Amino acid sequence: MTSTGSSSSVATETRSASVDIVVGVTSYNDAATVGAVVAAVRDGLARHFAGAASRVVLADCGSSDGSPARARDSLRGTAEILEVPSPPTTDRLEMPYHRMPGKARALRGILATAQSLDARACVVLDAGIETVTPQWVHWLIDPVLTHGFDLVAPLYRRHPYEGALTKGIVYPMFRALYGVRLRQPITGEFACSSRLLGHFLDENVWDRDGAHAGIDLWLASSAASGDFRIGEAALGVRHHHAHADETLDLGTLVTQVIGSLFADLENRVERWQRVRSSVAVQPFGELATGNSLQPVSVDPEKLIESYRLGYRELRDIWTWVLPPRTILDLRRLMNGPGASFRLDDSLWATIVYDFALGYRLRVIAREHLLRSLVPLYLAWLASFIVEIRDRGEEDVEQRLERLCAAFEEQKPYLISKWRWPERVRT
Amino acid sequence: MAHKSSQSDGLWYKRAVIYELPVKSFCDGNADGVGDFPGLIEKLDYLEGLGVNCLWLLPFFPSPLRDDGYDIADYCDIHPSYGTLDDFRRFLDAAHERRMHVVIELVLNHTSDQHLWFRRAREAPPGSIERDFYVWSDTDEKYRDARVIFVDSERSNWTWDPVAGAYYWHRFFHHQPDLNYDNPAVLGEILRVIDFWLELGVDGFRLDAVPYLVEREGTSCENLPDTHTVLKAIRRHIDERGPHRMLLAEANQFPADVRAYFGDGDECHMAYHFPLMPRIFMGLHLEDRHPIVEIMQQTPTIPGVCQWALFLRNHDELTLEMVTDEERDYMHLAYSADPQARINLGIRRRLAPLMGNNRRRIELLNSLLFSFPGTPIVYYGDEIGMGDNVYLGDRNGVRTPMQWTSDRNARFSKADPARLYSPIIMDPIYGYQGLNVEAQERDGSSLLQWMKNLIGLRKLFPVLGLGTLRFLECENRKVLAYLRELENDAILCVANLSRSVQPVELDLAPFAGFVPIEVLGYTEFPIIGERRYFLTLGPYDFYWFELQRRD
Repeated sequence: MTSTGSSSSVATETRSASVDIVVGVTSYNDAATVGAVVAAVRDGLARHFAGAASRVVLADCGSSDGSPARARDSLRGTAEILEVPSPPTTDRLEMPYHRMPGKARALRGILATAQSLDARACVVLDAGIETVTPQWVHWLIDPVLTHGFDLVAPLYRRHPYEGALTKGIVYPMFRALYGVRLRQPITGEFACSSRLLGHFLDENVWDRDGAHAGIDLWLASSAASGDFRIGEAALGVRHHHAHADETLDLGTLVTQVIGSLFADLENRVERWQRVRSSVAVQPFGELATGNSLQPVSVDPEKLIESYRLGYRELRDIWTWVLPPRTILDLRRLMNGPGASFRLDDSLWATIVYDFALGYRLRVIAREHLLRSLVPLYLAWLASFIVEIRDRGEEDVEQRLERLCAAFEEQKPYLISKWRWPERVRT
Repeated sequence: MAHKSSQSDGLWYKRAVIYELPVKSFCDGNADGVGDFPGLIEKLDYLEGLGVNCLWLLPFFPSPLRDDGYDIADYCDIHPSYGTLDDFRRFLDAAHERRMHVVIELVLNHTSDQHLWFRRAREAPPGSIERDFYVWSDTDEKYRDARVIFVDSERSNWTWDPVAGAYYWHRFFHHQPDLNYDNPAVLGEILRVIDFWLELGVDGFRLDAVPYLVEREGTSCENLPDTHTVLKAIRRHIDERGPHRMLLAEANQFPADVRAYFGDGDECHMAYHFPLMPRIFMGLHLEDRHPIVEIMQQTPTIPGVCQWALFLRNHDELTLEMVTDEERDYMHLAYSADPQARINLGIRRRLAPLMGNNRRRIELLNSLLFSFPGTPIVYYGDEIGMGDNVYLGDRNGVRTPMQWTSDRNARFSKADPARLYSPIIMDPIYGYQGLNVEAQERDGSSLLQWMKNLIGLRKLFPVLGLGTLRFLECENRKVLAYLRELENDAILCVANLSRSVQPVELDLAPFAGFVPIEVLGYTEFPIIGERRYFLTLGPYDFYWFELQRRD
């Protein structure tokens, strides 16, 4: 790796030394993994971009386990690391789903540093990932530097039951809204061009309410709403060291992730209401195959029971946002055997859209509304699992494609109600 | 430092929806019976929810208030009834935080006779710089070709001043002496006033009464070349002090004369389209599109960075200066059978009473306002269909307190009702007990909710703010059809000006293969073919169609 600047511990460096690549690493109590991540970055840069000037930038969110020191130690004698100031800790009271308080500020610091260094490409990685390889650096950066892409988002290989919130709501709705088939728009890693990072920094997202949880998604929608070339890099499996013991309860997860998605709608109306259909994004990287995924066990009967309990307890709340016909359709799901439990795709799409409208109009407190979506989401998940269990990955893909088509088909339903809100619940 | 909302989008005024409000009428924060900036700050959330993104404030400066604040006694301060400069700063920051622009008044033509400049001038020796801040004469015979504008209250444009021992010139009330722009010191002072407000962060100025800045013998003293020289100097000054500040000209003239106020894009950014308003009302009453089409066809092209400011009603009377005598008679017969409703040459009524409180007609006129080429201005209270009181004198009947709730004083003020600056509307139709913001917020079918939706749609389609206008020929003159186009976007607007169902056939052959999507309901209509496109419109119906290409 070519070092282009003097040793520095803060990102207040002037524009004196421009670089081709900035790799930003965000960390929060990742001492166990950050060393390996920055080492993989170093090796990736040396192996694939030996002729390019590059810098590694660390944005630590206030670790108490010495993560920054581990990162420095890992590169000692081979390269220097530039650190952006630790963000204030004010939003640690509410832990975001990506378990990194102050992430928006950390990201902004990295992007601002990349801009100040005139970087042609900027990559962001999470220091807690155990599976980062030097090849990731290549797959993320190369489309930007060589093929002129503005955003390269990762596509991680997941078990069919994993990332269900993304599969069931985020991806289909994001795709229908913005017309871009970005499979995993809320992952924390990405690469972007200098043009896009300038756009990101100009966006009015950084200080918005909920930025602590929504920033990943909002940057993706920002890129999808603009005139930017978007690619997707298959990076294999993503394992995070903290996931096992720091997973949030589902209600909080739904509140943060779906709340971020819904909150963004208001700010990009001019874009998503004018977008019709969707387009695929350019794939990069290598899609791994075989049975390398860890098995995941989910009992759909328990999900169905949770839904039925939710129906009994929350139906009165649902009637604030869902039309009578939908309530009757949901009532039909109360009976019958689990093996034939099916939540129709169109029904699910309109339910999600009606919740988005209810969120916009604040028909009840937003957090209550979002938490009441959980049993409905579990109903969708149960239906999905009942349909795809024992099926191959290709079948699962086709099933998701049908779901996305339903979200796209029902988009006029959302638009017509959005434009004339008195039609909510009709 | 507060966010300066005008710094991001150079053409923000073309995309804006402007809300006009008098601070005194909106909300009283200190219970003295007069609206003020603290009260206005409380209501910014309401305005944000309404969807407007630019606030135009009527004069709020120290003034004897003999012309509703257009008689300014100090350009660089706040009238004590409305608050303090610190209150204004807080308001400005709060508006900018909500991404709203703020436009204030700049009365260039005249001051109050209480202004220090005038008090100094009348004492100063003839020929001195101080004296020459105003236009003086030993006789009242000069500039006789200049008309008297306020014919109901002034007989001459000259008034004798016993202190100065001379006549002074005034185009409006006698207590509003005209500034003398032949004296370079006057422009210098005005530029300092501009700098004062720019540094505070305002986003634009409405230039009051701009056609009358300069006087020349043998002319009407209106729209003179030297007036444009002054305006160009002001524009240069503003541009030098930062980007994207806007100048809006009030020139109550025919469009061909107003055109000059845009210059080559180097004078005012915006100007009101005064003659359109009465012709929209006339077209509606006649159930004939001709008056509207005619005035739009007479409207000259303006530079790309410039924009017309459109309104249905405002704080003044529905002015009828820019119509023929016969048209004026028609308008008086149609809309002001009660002589009490007339003032000067116009009609002092709000939108809802002018429309007979007919919801469909109110919606139709707003649909025209929001789809014609220009930036729409909503007058405070018209979004809930507020009424007026023609017995209050001058134009005060359309400047009554905003009706927030059915509580005492309509929750405009906590003061004793007798202390309010104006009585609140209390009649059985428009009274605050039934017609107020709170009630309409709760009613999903209210005019307020409808206006929110319309404002949202307007902002959704940039073509409505930036695009061209093309009228479509159709045999039925009760129907008005036009296209708004911008690059690949096209919106077809069709309006029925009559009280009965109307058919219309439109030649849309250039759009064969396109599908009209009715934008309010997002409803897909049959694909356009080579043959004429047939539509039926209910009474006072209007449609906006987004023309989508189907590949």
